[in-house]
Amino acid sequence: MIQGELSETMHQRHSEHLKRKIAANASRLLDAVRQSPVRPKGLDHFIDVLDNVYVSDDVRSHLGGKEETPAVIGLYCMMVPEELIYAAGFIPLRLCGGSYDAFLVGGDYAPRDACPVVKASLGSSLRGVPSVYGLCDVVIVPTTCDAKRKAAEELSRFSEVWVLEMPHVKDSEASREGWRCQLYGLAKELNNLGKRKGSKTKINRSNLKKAMELIGAASYQARRLFSLRKLSPPALSGMEASIALSAYGFDRADIWTREMKSLNDELENRQGERVSRCLQRRPRLLLAGSPSIFPNWKVPLIADEMGADIVVDESCVGDRLLYDVAGLSEKTLDSMIEALAARYLAPCVCPVFTPNDDRLYRLIELAGEFAIDGVIYHVLKGCIPYDFELYRVERIFRERKVPVLRIETDYTLEDVEPLRTRIEAFIEMLAGKEKK
Amino acid sequence: MNWFLGIDAGSTYVKAVLIDETGFVKGRRVSATGFNAEDVASRLVEEICGEACIASCDICGIVATGYGRRRIGDAGNNVTEIKAHAMGALRNGDAENGRIRTIIDVGGQDLKVIILGDAGEIESFVMNDKCAAGTGRFLEHMARILDLSLSGMGKLALTSTSPCEINSTCVVFAESEVISLCASGKNLADIVSGIHYSLARRIARMARNASFKSGVLLTGGGALNPGLVKTLEDELMTDVHVPPYPQFNGALGAAFAALEAGQKTPLTGMS
Repeated sequence: MIQGELSETMHQRHSEHLKRKIAANASRLLDAVRQSPVRPKGLDHFIDVLDNVYVSDDVRSHLGGKEETPAVIGLYCMMVPEELIYAAGFIPLRLCGGSYDAFLVGGDYAPRDACPVVKASLGSSLRGVPSVYGLCDVVIVPTTCDAKRKAAEELSRFSEVWVLEMPHVKDSEASREGWRCQLYGLAKELNNLGKRKGSKTKINRSNLKKAMELIGAASYQARRLFSLRKLSPPALSGMEASIALSAYGFDRADIWTREMKSLNDELENRQGERVSRCLQRRPRLLLAGSPSIFPNWKVPLIADEMGADIVVDESCVGDRLLYDVAGLSEKTLDSMIEALAARYLAPCVCPVFTPNDDRLYRLIELAGEFAIDGVIYHVLKGCIPYDFELYRVERIFRERKVPVLRIETDYTLEDVEPLRTRIEAFIEMLAGKEKK
Repeated sequence: MNWFLGIDAGSTYVKAVLIDETGFVKGRRVSATGFNAEDVASRLVEEICGEACIASCDICGIVATGYGRRRIGDAGNNVTEIKAHAMGALRNGDAENGRIRTIIDVGGQDLKVIILGDAGEIESFVMNDKCAAGTGRFLEHMARILDLSLSGMGKLALTSTSPCEINSTCVVFAESEVISLCASGKNLADIVSGIHYSLARRIARMARNASFKSGVLLTGGGALNPGLVKTLEDELMTDVHVPPYPQFNGALGAAFAALEAGQKTPLTGMS
């Protein structure tokens, strides 16, 4: 028997088991946010989205259309233009995995030193749990880091995988040219897929323009949320912001934008009340490094419990994903694809790019804008690109006298207590500095 | 007279220090942590009070630190080990050793390097991750397999002239290295010294990662071992100061935290 292949009934049992575990862990986190008395009402939709994905396992209820399964495409990383997917009539879902239980399953099919994101994604794909992993007609993987690239091959055992070749040196004409060709190829494949699925929609000028406006509107609301977190105290907790941003990965962009607008409106209106409730200023943290993907909230939860506010998360599941907007000046199909190619390559500061000084500038900028007291630098075991850049990040922050705490960990919970001690001491140190 | 108590509920031992309102140390007690740190702490409080001839209700404030700090019911408050050690070092180190800028704490399952700023504030710190390599546990285990006492092992290390090379700081891997050295008929003192060098190299690497400054204070139970002090000085290439009661440094810091808190808000209700 090939590794990972089980008989039909055994597969069923393993899947049911994983489903129960993922649901139990996710609902514990979501319930904690639900039960918070200060939770903004506008957050409920986003909690429901994550609940639909991880707990009740029914994304149809919020993606719309009870009668038919929505045509969805799974995405890894943040370099695949969602605008093209929407224009072709599909809904993109984000599949980078954050589940501890899926990570345990995937661990048997990936090398020991592969990162937990890839292990969790493999585990979920293998068992088809949560069911969004089985729902995708096609999965698109850009060639970002080594682990993602090789995981693409393993993922192709479970669904059709398109590999998008992404250049690692942004600042060269050849890279830009190659990347543009990749996106044209992607557009063509999407049209073909549509035809195969019996859809009449093809990417054209008008639906691409509409899709760009759609994502533009989502970015606008995301940026509003970021500015609300710049306030002192921040208008919502790090966990609440993370719920809203994580839900984007599984929601339709139009619905998400609508709900985000009402959340932002509510937060703006109640800020005065929040200021008066906060008795003590909590240290403000920048969460840098590897993404803390829901439900792996190990580090952010400890920071919150120990009395600090994470006001900005630079990662691709935090504030990076929707930070930049593709400009729309000319409205020919070619110029729009050109703009998308530029938008998804140039401003992205994922450490898979070299050189990547832009990330340092971005971090300095974020630390200033968000009035940061300290940085937690999260390294997921096996995430070499982020770990490599630690030295440069530490240096720029040392020059600016902003303390940095490096936390290397994965999805297991065995090191929570030692981590708690270190994070608590770090926050205590920041609070002590502030007094002086 | 007002009294203040610090309790350091560590992974291996619970330590308690009693000070008066001037900061004078009136008593110290230590006992193995065992199963229930809270019971041990209560017993230590009783003993220390009995020894100092004061009633436990005369204690104005108790602050706990260490792994078990949240479980110590007697304590009114708790601080992290990092803060406790920094506060302890300010009282413990400065007087005779000049200014302390780096604290290296070798505990039972923790290894910490704390860097202090000009005003004694914590500038940064590094702690070991999950693994207990480089901590007191390593020495304890090596003593066990060589059938030596911990104190005997430290002294024996000093007598070696050509220490063996032991590369691993992992307890399990180092054990097999040590066993093969024993089997090849090496001198016991040289093996023991090699064990200390292996530990010191690990600690020194962490101190360099933390960009340590000279003025190093070594605390924790590990500092009681003269072999470790010597090898660490050798590896760090700087003097290492050891306070008179190194394993009480955290508890002393906690006691001063209690004193500080007590001075801020005088407990008028207590007699």
